[in-house]
Order: sequence, then C-alpha cells, then structure tokens
Amino acid sequence: MREVYVVGIGITSFTRLEYPLSEIAAYPAMIALKDAGLSKVDHVYVANMASARANHQTGLASAVVDTLSLTPAGAEVIENGPASGASAIKQGFMAVASGLHDTVLVTSAERLREVNNLEATDIVASLSHPLAEYIYGVTLPSLAAMFTRLYMQKYGVTERHLAMVAVKNHDNALLNFFAHLHEKITIEGILDSPEAMTNNPYVAEPLRFFDCCPVSDGGAAVILASAEVAKQLKKPLIRLAGVGQATDTHCVHERAEPTDLLAVRGAAAKAFHMAGVSPADVNVAELHDAFTILEIVESEEVGFFKKGEGHLALERGETRLGGRLPINTSGGLKAKGHPVGATGVGQAHEIVLQLRGEAHKRQVKDARIGFTCNFGGFGNNVVCLVFKREN
Amino acid sequence: MVLEIYAYQCKKCGQLHYPFRMVCKKCGNKEPFEFDTVPLPKNGKLLTFTTVHNLPPDFNVAKLTLGIVELENGMRITGQLKAPSPKIGMAVRGKVETVREAEYSKNFGMVFYPA
Repeated sequence: MREVYVVGIGITSFTRLEYPLSEIAAYPAMIALKDAGLSKVDHVYVANMASARANHQTGLASAVVDTLSLTPAGAEVIENGPASGASAIKQGFMAVASGLHDTVLVTSAERLREVNNLEATDIVASLSHPLAEYIYGVTLPSLAAMFTRLYMQKYGVTERHLAMVAVKNHDNALLNFFAHLHEKITIEGILDSPEAMTNNPYVAEPLRFFDCCPVSDGGAAVILASAEVAKQLKKPLIRLAGVGQATDTHCVHERAEPTDLLAVRGAAAKAFHMAGVSPADVNVAELHDAFTILEIVESEEVGFFKKGEGHLALERGETRLGGRLPINTSGGLKAKGHPVGATGVGQAHEIVLQLRGEAHKRQVKDARIGFTCNFGGFGNNVVCLVFKREN
Repeated sequence: MVLEIYAYQCKKCGQLHYPFRMVCKKCGNKEPFEFDTVPLPKNGKLLTFTTVHNLPPDFNVAKLTLGIVELENGMRITGQLKAPSPKIGMAVRGKVETVREAEYSKNFGMVFYPA
C-alpha cells in the first residue's frame, strides 16, 4: 500500500449559504487546489447526504466536476449519512494507496437550510430504522436524549457537564472565522440564571437547545496525493496515516449495552492500529459533537480517557485549548456547525491546519498527531482518521 | 382483532430478533426467510425515555414522549409512551395503535401506558 498525503485544504463558512449546492462543493475545492498548487486531479469524490431531498439535485459529482472544469476526471458522490465526509476521504485514501490515482480531490457540500427546520429534522430522522424507530417520531436528538439519560444515571454525567462542552466549543468557535456560531455563552446564561429556560429550552429532555448542533450549510475539501507528488509541492508533509471504520446495529434498542458506542471504539482502534500510534500520542482531536454528550462519550470510546471518566477530564480542563488534549479546537459541530455530509471533511481541514501550524489564535503548540471521529446515524457507522506531520 | 408487533425467530437456532433481519445474528443461517413470526410480549419495564419538542411535520403535536422498553422476555423495543410522569424502571404495558399518519400512509406501532 502506498503512503497518502494531504497536500491541499479549503473550506467555506459554515452558516446559511444562498448559492447553489454544486458551488458550495466547488468553492472549497478551488481553494484546496490553489493551496496545493495543482490545476488538475485524477479523480473527484463529493461527500453529501441530502441533495436529492433537500435540493432536488442528484448526480451532484457530475455537476461539481464540470463546474470546476476538471472533466474528464472521474467523479462520484459518497453518501454515508453524517459520516459521508470521512467516508469520502477514506475512498480517496484507497484510490491513492492502491496506486489507481496519484491525486484525488475530496470535496463536500450540504445545504439543508434550503428547507425549513421541521423538514430538515425529518430528513435527518430518516437515518433511523424506518419501521422500528422512524414511524414513532424518533429524531436524532431523541435518540441522543434517551442515550444521555442512561449515561447520566450510570456515570454521573450532569446537565452542567453538557453545558461545559457547549461553553468550551462556543469559545473555540469565537477564534474560528469560518464557524457558524460566533456567540459567547456562559453556564450562568444557559443553566443557572432565571432566564435559562428561555435561553436554553429543552429540545429532547434532558438535552437542551445548546446541547444540539445547528443545521448548517457548508462545504470543505482536501486534496490527497501520493508521496511522489507531495514531495514536489513543498508544503508541510501531513500524512493520512490511519483510516478505520466500523458499524453497529441500525436500531439503537438492539445494542447489548445501550451506553456503549461500539462502532466508535472499533473504528478508532483500527485507525490507531494502521497509523502505529496510541490514543495517548494524539495532540489534537476533532470529535463528532452533534450533541454535547457525544464529545464526552467519544473521548472515552476512542481511548483518550477511561469509560465513564470523560466528563471528569472535561471538568479538569484537559480538553480545552491549552489543556493536555484540546478537543474540537474549531468549535466542533456544536459551534463551528454541522453541514451533515461535509462535516467529516471539515474535521480533517481543522486537523491539517493544526498540524501545519496555521491555526492562528487556536493553534495547539507543536501538534504533530491529529485525530478525527466522524459519527454516522446514531453511532451505526463511524469513520476515524489519524493524521501525522512528518517534517 | 388484536393487533400485534412481531419478533422474528430463527428456524435453525431459535434466536429472536426485532426488527426483521434477513440473516440470523446468532447462527448466521444463510437460507433466506428462515424465520417464524412470534408476537412480542406487551409487558415490560422502561429502560429510558425522552420528550421531544421538535418533531417532523407529520406530527401535529407540540411534543411527544418516546421510550425504549425492555419486554418481559428480555427483548427491547422503541415506542411511544403515554405516561404522565415517566421514570426509568417503571412497569409499562403496550398497545398497538396508530402512531403516525401522513397524507397517504398510516403506521401502527407500540404505544406504552403505565401498567
């Protein structure tokens, strides 16, 4: 297997975007091509989840490759729910590692704000089991809420811990120009003050408004290349060193231990094994905090902290900027935003920035090993990536 | 007529599954459709629950309570919950009722009440 490097990155603001979906995918791709100093690539992958339902567009990759005047390069859409982004990077990795292609553009786009809030909720809810979950009114927040209630009972996680994740990630997003929410929040304002129930109402009890990510439009892109190409481009050498994926039961109720996220555990273990590093070696990580509880639980399942102790590390400040292992320096899905199919590529964008030393005010000092966890469905399809700086 | 929700029992090893799957998770029997249907029990205890305030457009209600119930044979099911003050571990009894109606579709599912 050949080694695979990230040679270019690009991103749009994650927010409400008023231009066509194919341009949301093409714009970060142009930035990434410029960043890499390339004008052509061998192949294009486009990560997206909901174009058919939300934007009345199918065959998105054909539109994107032509918008970029990259024809006749091959192109296809990769759809794997909220893990589409990391899945597309995995496909790009396989194409370069196998020797089939030397340069691959992995771009992504989502534009769920073209439909209204309830419609967007329904589109995302269609990730759940059609007959055993969806028909009842199950939404992703409701699955996360039922999971949170069990986690609180078993491990002593409280609403205060969840609010601490939100405050930390909102603070990080203030340092990220491209983040969706530039809004300073405090524990007092969202939990303790008499106005807290107005500021921060329940969405799905015990999860509140500030425990849930926003619905964002946005896109991000990375360019993957072989060692031969990467060494000619004179960029910091960032290697995509580990790729891991695992699945779990479609229905949440079928899991033997309902507080485990086995697909996260499995995907991370595979990625670390391939990269030849351990969780303790990681300097900076982007975890899929679509709900605040998920940052805490993923930090345990991937091996940063013991099961049931993620919230204690959070309390000690280990995961904030300046801590031992900063998590979600970009603001995470919570505050940077969650353009569903593009999120995994957005996470990789942040890690590459960090490893290059280009993250400005939110730079993690001397970061050399970075990790991303992209979480599909409610934990039924997870892709983890490990990145290493090599020079 | 009593409406039921069915579990699927592997004809080879007897393992029960809910919802339907094509291959037995326990013995891996590869013969297609090798399952018997068995009605799920109605009594169980509440494993976890939530009240959702942000629902898809089909639901003309402001909020809805959902739960996962551990049935008396140990199997689990997700369903709607109609209980004034739900608590983890409370005894519940299910009834099959209409749970979702849209313009061209009507879905039946399990609704749980305090036992």
